[in-house]
Amino acid sequence: MRLAQKYNRVNLFTSLIILVLSGAIYYFAIHYILTNKLDNDLKIEEEEILASVREYHKLPLPSDFKDQKVTYHELKKGDTTDRGFSNTWYYNPEEKETEPGRSLNTSVKLGEKDYAVTITKSSLEAEDLVRLIFLITLGIIVLLLISLTVVNRFVLSSLWRPFYEMLKQLKAFNLADKNEFSVQHTQIDEFQELNQSVISMSSRVRQDYKELKSFTDNASHEMMTPLAVINSKLDTLIQTESLTDKQGELIEDVYLAVNKLSRLNQSLLLLAKIENNLIKDEEDIALDVLLAQKLRQFNELFIANEIEVEKYLEPQQLHMSKYLADILLNNLINNAIRHNKQHGKIKIALQTGLLTISNTGSQKALNGHSVFERFYKDASSEGTGLGLAITSQICNLYQYKLSYSYQAEHHIFSLKF
Amino acid sequence: MKILLVEDETALRDSIIAYFTEEGNICETAEDYAAALTKINIYNYDCIVLDLTLPDGDGMELLRKLKQMHKTDGVLIISARHSLDDKLSGLNLGADDYLVKPFHLSELKARVSAIVRRKSFDGNNLIVFHEINIDTLAMRTTVGETNINLTKKEYDLLVYFIANQRKVITKSALAEHLWGDEIDLSDHFDFIYTHIKNLRKKLVEAGCNDYIKSMYGVGYKFSS
Repeated sequence: MRLAQKYNRVNLFTSLIILVLSGAIYYFAIHYILTNKLDNDLKIEEEEILASVREYHKLPLPSDFKDQKVTYHELKKGDTTDRGFSNTWYYNPEEKETEPGRSLNTSVKLGEKDYAVTITKSSLEAEDLVRLIFLITLGIIVLLLISLTVVNRFVLSSLWRPFYEMLKQLKAFNLADKNEFSVQHTQIDEFQELNQSVISMSSRVRQDYKELKSFTDNASHEMMTPLAVINSKLDTLIQTESLTDKQGELIEDVYLAVNKLSRLNQSLLLLAKIENNLIKDEEDIALDVLLAQKLRQFNELFIANEIEVEKYLEPQQLHMSKYLADILLNNLINNAIRHNKQHGKIKIALQTGLLTISNTGSQKALNGHSVFERFYKDASSEGTGLGLAITSQICNLYQYKLSYSYQAEHHIFSLKF
Repeated sequence: MKILLVEDETALRDSIIAYFTEEGNICETAEDYAAALTKINIYNYDCIVLDLTLPDGDGMELLRKLKQMHKTDGVLIISARHSLDDKLSGLNLGADDYLVKPFHLSELKARVSAIVRRKSFDGNNLIVFHEINIDTLAMRTTVGETNINLTKKEYDLLVYFIANQRKVITKSALAEHLWGDEIDLSDHFDFIYTHIKNLRKKLVEAGCNDYIKSMYGVGYKFSS
């Protein structure tokens, strides 16, 4: 539920309750005041009757005029009337209809006789007034609710626009691209603060990310020189005349480790370069021609590992860096050889928009998600664990779709252009 | 041949000098940009081995200076920068070759020899080692008077061996030289054995001495 919607709902609900409640209180208060006023009028009338009785020692004529009626009747001995007000009905002779009324019952003593006096007044006017007030109140409620809804809808949504704008940009935030947040000017302090915090946060995150990347880059660079020194010292060491076979074997192991380390280093550098999009020598490449050339290069390896290669190449043009295209194919083919079995098979098929390279190998499917992760590899593998990560990074760069599947004892890597 | 090595890393400089200095090779060194510039101004070299990242300047600048002076010294760039741009701009500025650190000394020697051979204007495109004669232009190999037919890989192998004669060469250096670093051969070093066996057989059949010696564990040595 959106904030504005939630707020609207709560807001409207409480205003409705308060307005209805206050309407009711209003109604009863006015009703009470008007009844009081009517009662006062009735009392004045009573006093006038009593005064007239005292003065003239006779009852005034029963009257029936102007929304007011006075009646008398003689009380029998022992009968008493309690003085009190009551709601009754009043027959309006002019309008010829019964109206709500208010009456005062009282008694008057004339000589030996007691008379009961009933003074009735029409309360129609008062009722009308109450009804009118109630209707006005209702009108105000409706008007208020409508205006609240309108205000909430339009004003709130325009007030919150900077927030939603920022939210949209946050959703689209990508560490790698350089676009800064574009901030809408807003009068609201909270949103200004939010915008400033987001901008400073994003620049801090970007800075950290940049430092991390340049750290990898620099670290790999700095490692190259010591590696070169180790390599050259080993090259010098093996020139020693008195080298024994045992020492020779030890040195060979060191060579292998140094070789692996420098390949690892170069792979990390390459990854950093691809991520930073620093390789830009894009050109048109005939992938089928390049692939055929690669297969010739690898031919000796296929023979040495007794691997049977099936190929099916259709023409396919790509626009990418030749350097990266080389690496892409090298990694996929190296991978297919490295993880193959003796007398295994490699099938390479290039159709328009799709390259699949499949190889026989272990009987178990690999984890399709982690296979492209850095340093994911078989315990037995001699590789760096970066080959497929680089391949996947190259594919990301050019928006190719790289996927892995295992079918009929073949590990299949397919590449959609 | 006369070589100038421009490299700031002492340990690496020492190894390279030790590998290059012998039988008539003169190997001078410069440890920074200023020293290198002075030497280039005064002397001519067959080949300058140039590191790009120097403490007081960029090796590329030296290349530009060389070009301004119209010098024809061969230049081999050695750099830790495995960047295509560096490589291309280095070669555009007149460098003859580019080698990425870390490298094998035997590879460096072979590359420098190739540059020097190409740069010698007296038509000296012959490699001679005892009875072996290689015409690098025609890519023709003879033993005494006998022509021998070598495959591309066997030919590369022989040239590499002679450039590094009397040195022990590792299998991985040979593999990298023959197949480049594109093909990951770390599992298959023994695989060059076939090529060496064939080369040796062809040489011996043509009446050549067997110069290729196998050094247990480490690699091979080409010597008389």
